[in-house]
Amino acid sequence: MNALVLFCIPLLMALLGLIRQTARWLPGAVAVAMPVQLALAGWCCLHGWAQPVSGSADFGLDGIGAAFLFITTLVATAALVHAALLLPAERRESPEISDRQLGLFYTLAGVFLAAMYAVLLAQNLGYLWIAMEATTLVSAPLVFYHRSRHALEASWKYLLLCSVGIAFALFGTVLLVAAQHTLGAAASLRWHDLLAHAHALDPRLLRLGFIFCLLGYGTKAGLFPLHNWLPDAHSEAPAPASALLSGALLNCALVAIWRLAQVMQAAGQGDLVRQLLVPAGAVTVLAAGLLLVRQHDLKRMWAYSSVEHVGLLTLAIGIGATPLFLLHALNHSLVKVALFLLAGSIMHHYGTKALKQIGGLLRTVPAWGVLLAGAGFAIAGSPPFGTFLTEWLLLRDTFAAREYLAGGVVIVGLTITFLAITAHLGRMLFGRAAAVDRPAPSAAWSFVPATLLVLALLTGVCFTPQVMTVLLALTRIGGGPR
Amino acid sequence: MTISPVDLLAAGAAMCAVWMCGVGGLTPLLRLLGVQTALSAVMAAVLGATFGLPHYYVLALVVFAVKAVAIPVYLSHAATQLQLRRDDGVLTPTALPLFLGCGILIAGYFLAPRIAVPTMGYTGAAGMALALLLTGMLIMVTRRLALSQVIGFLVLENGIFLYSLTQTHGMPLVIEMGIIFDVLIAVLVAGVVIFRLNRSFEHIDVTQLRGLRH
Repeated sequence: MNALVLFCIPLLMALLGLIRQTARWLPGAVAVAMPVQLALAGWCCLHGWAQPVSGSADFGLDGIGAAFLFITTLVATAALVHAALLLPAERRESPEISDRQLGLFYTLAGVFLAAMYAVLLAQNLGYLWIAMEATTLVSAPLVFYHRSRHALEASWKYLLLCSVGIAFALFGTVLLVAAQHTLGAAASLRWHDLLAHAHALDPRLLRLGFIFCLLGYGTKAGLFPLHNWLPDAHSEAPAPASALLSGALLNCALVAIWRLAQVMQAAGQGDLVRQLLVPAGAVTVLAAGLLLVRQHDLKRMWAYSSVEHVGLLTLAIGIGATPLFLLHALNHSLVKVALFLLAGSIMHHYGTKALKQIGGLLRTVPAWGVLLAGAGFAIAGSPPFGTFLTEWLLLRDTFAAREYLAGGVVIVGLTITFLAITAHLGRMLFGRAAAVDRPAPSAAWSFVPATLLVLALLTGVCFTPQVMTVLLALTRIGGGPR
Repeated sequence: MTISPVDLLAAGAAMCAVWMCGVGGLTPLLRLLGVQTALSAVMAAVLGATFGLPHYYVLALVVFAVKAVAIPVYLSHAATQLQLRRDDGVLTPTALPLFLGCGILIAGYFLAPRIAVPTMGYTGAAGMALALLLTGMLIMVTRRLALSQVIGFLVLENGIFLYSLTQTHGMPLVIEMGIIFDVLIAVLVAGVVIFRLNRSFEHIDVTQLRGLRH
């Protein structure tokens, strides 16, 4: 019941966004409320996982749910605190953004956050599906915030492809119900019931159901070759929404895949999970790396890098490295949110998102230049950031699991990604300084990205084997440390 | 082998879907969608009577009201507003999708035993559900207008609904309602986006949307 507290602030924000008169103070108020929400989420997660979910609940907070709930809240807090600077500044300069539009952003963002919470709290695969489809339906209009043709095209593509994708997941979910015909009892979509009866399910329908669910939630996560919509949606959305889509929503889809993978493991079908997820992850990393090379647009670059990290996370689920899945998701979210928020600020400052026209950032806005360099190296997986550590451990585990080919492909993909990102960043940071006739932004604009980057550094520096033990306990099915 | 009314209704729905592949006019297309969905609502009622599941009657009523009446009416209202009459599709021989649809129907018939739940006894219906799902995808990829893609999506969704009706003893009513609600909202959001597309591009031909290539 205590997890319900978390829905108060997002839904209140959604309601206030509907009132036109609030547009003046709502961004500031949300920026103050979100840290409170983060504290609440921390409290809920610490208390929540101490009392494991009972098998009969449709919604509940288990170890993995708690961890991702906290990451999601952290991402939302960072995005919405930064939005209080970015969105009003944008609105002052472009008269076509109305008060109503700004309010609608907060309404949609609030409902979006609530829907993501529902995905993470759902212990019933039916409710999980409903919440997942709801996230698509609220985030598609969010992509359309700037009301441009490109944004419209991107939201259409996003809405259609993800709805079809998620329809496959629905078919997969129905197949999981059908697979229970061997039990004789009434079918249940509760995750714990499925885990408990996994070995007695009809293996043929279970396998088919998993494949369809993987197709569906894989589309939502952006696995290659179903990633097509992702760069469009993530790059056309306003920066705080891009941060939410990349840093929080992708994780939600991966958690759904993780839950299904656990059912398959319990049913003794672990081989199929591995045969599907390991190649899918490795190929996604390689494809995203290759696509990153020819990018001309700052936000599309980070969107493709999200595809790459989804590949790594899928690989982690495939080889059964759950603690690494969690830790890498945290690292990726921290850095990627910092990058998207910086990208939003840079685009606002330069008035363009074309990589060619952004040059000499280290000279024009030194603080942003340093942050972008740091976060860029972090996302490419360089030490001493947490991403380096988790990518390294993931590679070690991949080879330990005798997935030599996948490991090799991932190494090639990561190398290409590193080179592509450093090349693009080099041009932006040094290069010829573009003439910008606006005053240097205040230090407040650097606050959120800098905080996130420091956190990403801490996850790398403070990592000890004990952390792994705690994470392993946390992600044990059914709860955490008893 | 005796053919049960459930299998007959499923076959009827699948026939409607295949017919839709060869239809260009939006009004007949939406009528066929309505008929097809109404058939699945009747099937829910028949199954409710067969298994003695009272919540299936509620489901049948809601499916009929929302998916067989409200959604096609809303879409045909949108078509009138946008002054759209036909969508002849991307393939030059316009009858080709019809033949492909027939092929899907045959494939569904032969694949049925592989995806059916043996204890339920509706093997034929499982194949028809699969055929509906695939036909929906076929409609989505062979049409030009954003509106027809929404129609294709609804056919696909009907296939999933048909499968869940005939091969399981039903998902809990709350979940079914949640799914129908999601579909309704999806159609409404898609409708809003289609109106916006029409306003900024002056067409809703999705094959012409190429602004976002890398």
